[in-house]
Amino acid sequence: MAVDVDEKDRLKGDKKIPLGVFIKRVFRYLKPEIGRFILAGILILINVGLDVVLPLITAAVTDNLSSETPVLSYLILMACVYLVICVINNVFLYFESMVLQKAGQEIIYNLRMEIFSHIEGMSLSQFTEMPVGSLVTRVTSYTQSMSDMFTNVIVSVIRNLLTVVSVYAIMFVINWKLASLLLISVALVFVSSLIFSKYVSGAFKKERQAVSDLNAFMNETLSGMKTIKLFNRQKGKLDEFDEKNTFMRRARFNVIKGFGIYRPFVSFVYITTMALIFWFGIKMGLSAGSIVAFYLYTGRFFNPVQQLADQLNNIQKAKSASERLFNLLDVKPEVRDLPDAEELTDVKGRIEFENVWFAYEGENWILKDVSFVIEPGETCAFVGATGAGKTTILGLIVRNYEIQRGRILIDGKDIRHIKIKSLRKAIGQMLQDVFLFSGTVKTNITLHDDTIPDEDVKAACKYVNADTFIEKLPQQYEDAVSNRGENFSQGQRQLLSFARTVLHKPKILILDEATANIDTETEAVIQASLEKMRSIGTMLIVAHRLSTIQHSDQIIVLQNGEIIERGTHQELLANHGYYWKLYRLQFENQ
Amino acid sequence: MLLGKHLNKYYLRYWYLFLGGIAALIAVDYVQLFLPRYLGDIVNILNAEGPLDVDTVGSLCLKLLGVAAVMFFGRMLWRFTLFNASFRIESGLRREMFQKSERLSQRYYGETKVGSIMSWFTTDLEEIQDYTGFGTVQIVDSMFLGLLVIVNMFAMDWVMASFAMIPMLLIVVWGVLVEKFTAERWTDRQEKYDKMYDFTQENFTGISVVKAFVKETSEIHAFAKVAKKNKDANLRFAKVHILFDTLIELIIGLILALIMGFGSWFVFAFVSGSPVSIFGHEIALDPGQLVTFIGYFDSLIWPMIALGMLVSMLGRARASLKRVSAFLDSPEDVANCKDAKVLKDVKGEVEFKNFSFAYPANPDTEVLKNISLKIEPGELIGVVGRVGCGKTTLLTALSRLYNVESGTVFIDGNDIMECDIASVRDSVAFVPQDSFLFSSTVGKNISFSKPDATEEEIREAAEFADVADNIDAFPESYDTVTGERGVTLSGGQKQRISLARAYLKQAPVLILDDSVSAVDVRTEEHILENIREGRRGRTTIIIASRISSVARADRILVLKNGEVEAFDTPAALEKISPTYAKMVELQALEDEIKGGDV
Repeated sequence: MAVDVDEKDRLKGDKKIPLGVFIKRVFRYLKPEIGRFILAGILILINVGLDVVLPLITAAVTDNLSSETPVLSYLILMACVYLVICVINNVFLYFESMVLQKAGQEIIYNLRMEIFSHIEGMSLSQFTEMPVGSLVTRVTSYTQSMSDMFTNVIVSVIRNLLTVVSVYAIMFVINWKLASLLLISVALVFVSSLIFSKYVSGAFKKERQAVSDLNAFMNETLSGMKTIKLFNRQKGKLDEFDEKNTFMRRARFNVIKGFGIYRPFVSFVYITTMALIFWFGIKMGLSAGSIVAFYLYTGRFFNPVQQLADQLNNIQKAKSASERLFNLLDVKPEVRDLPDAEELTDVKGRIEFENVWFAYEGENWILKDVSFVIEPGETCAFVGATGAGKTTILGLIVRNYEIQRGRILIDGKDIRHIKIKSLRKAIGQMLQDVFLFSGTVKTNITLHDDTIPDEDVKAACKYVNADTFIEKLPQQYEDAVSNRGENFSQGQRQLLSFARTVLHKPKILILDEATANIDTETEAVIQASLEKMRSIGTMLIVAHRLSTIQHSDQIIVLQNGEIIERGTHQELLANHGYYWKLYRLQFENQ
Repeated sequence: MLLGKHLNKYYLRYWYLFLGGIAALIAVDYVQLFLPRYLGDIVNILNAEGPLDVDTVGSLCLKLLGVAAVMFFGRMLWRFTLFNASFRIESGLRREMFQKSERLSQRYYGETKVGSIMSWFTTDLEEIQDYTGFGTVQIVDSMFLGLLVIVNMFAMDWVMASFAMIPMLLIVVWGVLVEKFTAERWTDRQEKYDKMYDFTQENFTGISVVKAFVKETSEIHAFAKVAKKNKDANLRFAKVHILFDTLIELIIGLILALIMGFGSWFVFAFVSGSPVSIFGHEIALDPGQLVTFIGYFDSLIWPMIALGMLVSMLGRARASLKRVSAFLDSPEDVANCKDAKVLKDVKGEVEFKNFSFAYPANPDTEVLKNISLKIEPGELIGVVGRVGCGKTTLLTALSRLYNVESGTVFIDGNDIMECDIASVRDSVAFVPQDSFLFSSTVGKNISFSKPDATEEEIREAAEFADVADNIDAFPESYDTVTGERGVTLSGGQKQRISLARAYLKQAPVLILDDSVSAVDVRTEEHILENIREGRRGRTTIIIASRISSVARADRILVLKNGEVEAFDTPAALEKISPTYAKMVELQALEDEIKGGDV
């Protein structure tokens, strides 16, 4: 079990990628948006430049007012310049943010398409190894983190660095001694921001943990309330709840503690620095304007320094998200087309198993030396207890898994030399639990293929007798399917799955019958449509109700992965063997 | 203010935290306004003719340090008190809700989805926490700081202050508008994201269908559509969001430029000796005062924004409090009656008298009709019948998860409607069909029914349920964690652990509701043997779908369509109950088939 968990973790991808390779791969996603990034870069440059000028204007106004001969027109001019810069600056800022947003959204979109398509191409067996939840987060949120790295993190790092450097340069020019003194405060803020950002990301992590813990507990407790009451354990559960509830309150408060010390501290440093500037500024004999400029620049200095520390953390986060994405992209599908694979054309529908052996893992054989032939147009049924290997046979024909020994032939061709897509297109699969997607009845039949005309959908439904119940729905074919189709009965689901299959015009049909009980009326409808569908082509059925298969051309009885009986319904009954007993059991139970 | 009967008591309980926090906020707000004044003073000192007044500068700098210190401690204090209080309110309310959830009956859970209850527990409580914590800060800041600044500005020069107030309103309007315009797009963006999330999740879950129909390409196209919608919604939101961000900066810049322009003119006129006169009022403004005035304006931005945001925040918090209160006030229908009798030394006699039952959700359909029967203490009883004949419902009635009609169900001759509920449930150990286990260790799951059980007792219970060998084979035996984060148990293992849990309780009445359906025949045989031995002298009731499970019971109850078809010894039943006879016949056939299986 422990090994299993590790395997899953490895698939989730925590493999380190060398930095050089990493940067190269990352740059690939940036390339299509390079124009936008350059534009944003230019805007940032202008922005930072203009921003740096503003305090100089205020300083000029102050100096002019303090001079012996203030000039009114100059003052008004300065105010106007201030206003114009302000307007230009904000307009540029708006465009810059928009350009970056667009670039970011494009990158996310492309990245998502790539990841989704990649996952979609993986083999069915690989899906059982990877938890759906973590695949979903890769498509939805990791892509965001990666794009964040370009549009948010790197861009702000650049902007902040530019600001810090240019602001400091100006202060240095005005008075290098005072500017050097300022370094103490800057260092204090930077270091405290580093510490804070580290602390608070840890505290946030704990908080998230506490929240998800409590939520999981709540969900379980509410779902298991009956059990709790039956055993009078309300008190015990309340104690458990108290522990988690308090833990969460503390975890949340710990985050606030971080902010509660850090924020006031930074503002304390800021005001203290102001006092220092005034005191030393006057001592060093700076003009009123210069002191005001220093004062204003210090304000512009603190924010970027604080942010820089935070961004160092974010880069790390974005990097690990991207790494996981790359790791996933490096997973190759397990079942792949061989180089010499051919298209399957003009399917007759002859299916042959030639000494097939199969195990999901190791020597744990599910099928042992199974051989049979189904002629074109025949209907063949598989019968046997749970775990006898019936469903496995169906999965092997469509190459969900590779067999270990023997051959599977369709029209005499080994399926390993047939292109997977063309193989599956030829075979209509009606799976055991009919999976319905959110959408409408129609989209569940067409499966998002918009090129299929409505008439064809209706014809398919009519063919399998699904039209009767669909037309009774309030919005018929446009009726909503929600919550995985909770609002449809087992029988209705089965009919929808028939319609799906018939619509896609297969040459071979395989049906894994649902085990659930279906009401008699629907059962009769299903039987009638099955009877019709037999004329479409070769049909393979795994049946749980023997009534379904009485008219089959061939019935194969399996036990523990081996064929123990075969023949028609009448022949098998005459045999008085396993099938006969099964039949009596079911028949009399009705 | 957010008020409500469930919330007010917390304000009273944590009054000192609120008081301390609000006092700290007010202190910070108050000293904060010294800053612009000192700044103005310094400018004036710099402007003054003659030698610099170094002493005054020195004392001003010291005062600045004093303000910095007060602000440091004050800001720390209000964060540590107000947020502390709001988190305590949140966790206190959550605790009340949890207790409530334990008191509500199964009827409530039948009518309300766990998902909705969860959202009250999470989103709504957070909304309330946000308002009581950060909301309080916003109220105090917008009221106190806002007023204080305005008063100060008017005290300096009422004409200038009045002119400055006009653009100030723009900021309040901005605060209101920003919520209005961004909220809708933000929700839309969230919805589109959820849609994409759901699509992805559904697609990966239903991947077998996609593969079966070779729909990879069309699914990718469909995904492209939802992903594009998500992108567009993000950009739509970004557009207004960035626009509003820019707007507020623009408004502030505009006002600053205006103050600077007009201010310079006023100062210039004042310094040149011919002050500007508006409405007959001469504006006397020196450069220092202009700096102070700008500083005041700067301090006013946040309170104004806060004021604008408060409106919608209060609306959301009120709606959340309403939902939380509705949950806390929902009626508890299964509760002890007055002077409820506490059952003690229960012998295990069970009796139904003219018992009929319909589920609250479906009051017109009687699942059970006029059941009358009596089970003697110490009997081993089997219950059989077709799916839906009411077996489970009949015996669940003994646990009083739902109310029953008075005078119909008795334990040891006591009407269960008049007994203390906890003592009723203590006398009956019920092993339900769906074996619900908690994500905890195997040992704790077994001792769930008796937390103070010794290791030997837990082991004995596991042996009784024939699951001890399986548990020993687990990596950490009884300390192995079950559920999502641990070992996945098979259906049969779950059933047997759930049986061990019920057995450990050593209750006078033990009920097994088809609870060994997923174990193989031999293990079942073993468990039945253990029941006959281990439960000797105590009432045990086994609901079964296979006749073999109850063949050796003292008496078997056969139910048909909610009524008693027969209740007698197994031997007698074959003659008097057609349902039972049929079951026996089928069982024989099934055994034959199973025999071929081995």
